[in-house]
Amino acid sequence: MSLRCEGRIGRIASPREALGRGNLRSLRDITIVARRPAGVACSAGLLFSPNAGTAEGMSGGDQTTAGPSASASGSLFSRYVRDPAFYDEMFDRDGVPHEHCRALWSALREMPGEEILQMQERAERSFLHEGITFSVYGEESAQERIIPIDIIPRLVSAAEWEFLERGLTQRLAALNRFLGDIYGDGRILADGVVPVDLVRGCPQYRIEMRAVEPPFGTFVSICGTDIVRTHEGFMVLEDNLRVPSGVSYMLANRQAVKTSLRGLYRHHRVRSIGHYGALLRQTLAELAPSGVSDPTIVLMTPGVYNSAFYEHMFLAQEMGVELVQGSDLLVHNGFVHMRTTAGLRRVDVIYRRIDDDFIDPLTFRPDSFLGTPGLFHAYQLGNVTIANAPGTGVADDKSVYAYVPEIIRYYLAEEPLLANVETHLCRDPEGLEYTLDNLDRLVVKMVGESGGYGMLVGPHATPDERADYAEQIRRDPANFIAQPTLDLSCSPCLSDGGAAPRHVDLRPFVLHGRETRIVPGAFCRVALRPGSLVVNSSQGGGGKDLWILPA
Amino acid sequence: MLARSARGLYWVGRYLERAQHGCRLLAEQLDALEDRPVGEIELNWRRVYTALGRAPLGGDLAFDLADDAFMLADAYTLVGDLALEAGNPDAIRNCLASARENARQVRNTLDRELWGCLNLAFLGIRDVGIEDIWKDRPGDFVRTAEDAVRTFWGVADSAMYRDESWHFLRLGRYVERTQLLAALIDAQLAVFPSHAHFAESDWLSLLRVCGANGAYGRLFSLQVRPPLVINFLVTDPHLPRSVRFGLAMIIDALDVVSLGEPLALEAGRRAGRTGARIDFDWPNLDLRDQSATRAMLHGIRESCRLLHDDIRAAYFAYEIEDTPGG
Repeated sequence: MSLRCEGRIGRIASPREALGRGNLRSLRDITIVARRPAGVACSAGLLFSPNAGTAEGMSGGDQTTAGPSASASGSLFSRYVRDPAFYDEMFDRDGVPHEHCRALWSALREMPGEEILQMQERAERSFLHEGITFSVYGEESAQERIIPIDIIPRLVSAAEWEFLERGLTQRLAALNRFLGDIYGDGRILADGVVPVDLVRGCPQYRIEMRAVEPPFGTFVSICGTDIVRTHEGFMVLEDNLRVPSGVSYMLANRQAVKTSLRGLYRHHRVRSIGHYGALLRQTLAELAPSGVSDPTIVLMTPGVYNSAFYEHMFLAQEMGVELVQGSDLLVHNGFVHMRTTAGLRRVDVIYRRIDDDFIDPLTFRPDSFLGTPGLFHAYQLGNVTIANAPGTGVADDKSVYAYVPEIIRYYLAEEPLLANVETHLCRDPEGLEYTLDNLDRLVVKMVGESGGYGMLVGPHATPDERADYAEQIRRDPANFIAQPTLDLSCSPCLSDGGAAPRHVDLRPFVLHGRETRIVPGAFCRVALRPGSLVVNSSQGGGGKDLWILPA
Repeated sequence: MLARSARGLYWVGRYLERAQHGCRLLAEQLDALEDRPVGEIELNWRRVYTALGRAPLGGDLAFDLADDAFMLADAYTLVGDLALEAGNPDAIRNCLASARENARQVRNTLDRELWGCLNLAFLGIRDVGIEDIWKDRPGDFVRTAEDAVRTFWGVADSAMYRDESWHFLRLGRYVERTQLLAALIDAQLAVFPSHAHFAESDWLSLLRVCGANGAYGRLFSLQVRPPLVINFLVTDPHLPRSVRFGLAMIIDALDVVSLGEPLALEAGRRAGRTGARIDFDWPNLDLRDQSATRAMLHGIRESCRLLHDDIRAAYFAYEIEDTPGG
């Protein structure tokens, strides 16, 4: 920070040419091109004719219209080749746009391709300029990267959304009841609906949470459920009940697409998601310790090096609360305080975006520098609310997942609305037998692993690999679950100047304080590589705006 | 406001001021390269490096007064050093990068436009090399960089809510400015012997770096006299780049944020004492013996350093008396 420095400079023999004063681009002309995976439209290289969309009927996605000649004069969809194996978000089995997609489809096919490409580039540039970035760990050169956006929105009809909303509300209600039960009386375990050892043996089970009763029994107040769609309908792939992220991309994608497709957006009367910050704040305020009428809420981040730091900053700003790190907080006399310029100020609600392990080195990992010593104790005393509560990870564990339909029936006496992906637990003899018999058709995952590690993708594995894996399963069956390979639905995305089907999922964000609140929207993730099913942003995934249409 | 946020904003203010100071020094120097004699250019470089407290290349500046080409080659290296050199923490690009990084960490306390301004400025110069900026008019680089800083302050001034964010931002800005100004004026006295045969142009360029040439001309005369210049740059309460003005801004900002805290009051008293010394005890420059003037300037620099420590102790890194925990 001091002005003095022992810098390295030396007299360099600069080439005479360097002294010349030719014309160089000015600083303002330096463009920054966002990183995109190969195969994704990035520059206006392939242009369409403005007279697009003349020769086609309604079968915009029909295979028969595809062909090399179509690209020269066709519309955005002229080379769109659907794979009937996957549900298509825009076209039905006959290649006709779904009812609710018709207006978008016909507007897009009349739009000059270069215009769409420019929108795409503008949107990505705006992400970079506004610093809407994430970081990939271990990547020095690309510390700040943007999530590529695909400008073509994905549409969800009012009826579809209404169904999703009911399903998500039901699911979260049951999961909160489940968490209250397993950290309380343990009825569901005593009744043998969910095996005791499965819960108590789960690494995410926090014995410290026993008998802790959060306000309204709300353990999970922010949840980001991953939902996929196949020909059978919507399915929950994963309940993210710990520190789900992506909501800032939902809002950023909306902002970018809204300003690009202005007329279209207005015409569709898309339901607004701009009040997410206000709802989140309201939800957190409801969860304040009893007796606190005007709670001080903070958002706790691991810091600027966390991959989702942008989102933490963004949400703190949207809610108008302080963004704190562990070192900004301290616990005194059982209460949590933050260091302000005017001394200490009491904190009532902490929306933490930091994993359980790192919250409090006195209770959890002692080697953590990210947390605040004594924080968990203050929480146990009921003097501060931590959202989500510690220990919620047990309810989104891979094998507990298989029991969620049962959990819903047990607590709510209702049939689950949203389907689970069929899951076979190898800890059960039937599950084990089924898994071993059908290894070539299943995806087998280790319970404790995530991010695709220790996974066997049956259809892509060699017989030897399958035999080895079967041996592993037999040795420790309880550590494995098996699921069928999923036929994720496809949605049209820009690629090489035209639209092409890419696999998508969606992550709506469910808030729950005193009651459940869901903004009508979701972060729609896209696998931008052709054929890829991986939608993770760290692995070439991108995002899309998701438009929920009014009834 | 959160202590860490206040610290971040304070440093945004400091780094932006440092970047702008570098821009102004370089802009003046690049202008001189066009038509001034080599001897004058050499002295100007000495002033720049003395003011920044940085060692020039190879330990010393030694120009071949007869060879313009060498002079330009040296300038090429020196400009690179002050504008882009990765190992020079005070290089313009590094200052802008540090300002942006501090802003990134406390972005939620800044208006969107302010962050956008810094982010764009940084992205625009992140990958340029000295060859790039030299090929065109190198002045464009410093003008663009300074424009970004000016835009930032313009937007901040017109849009920011006058809460602590604003006050810590300008606190950083004026602590830095006051310190840099005192160092620059001191360097001027050290480098340019101000005996009877001084060169007017050396003092005019100092006025230009401080954006004071116009006002000086209107207030005094077009004739440049070193004692008047020094007095003007140190004591004038209406010149934004004067030491006295900087101190007044610091006193004002501290007054708002101190809230009667003992440590915070100490910072205010220090700034007030320094301002009062300038008001009442500032010596007229003696052309033969500059020691009294330079001693005062050293005192001001030392005050700024201590002021920084006071602010840090009062707002950013204060001690909590009870032990944390349970």
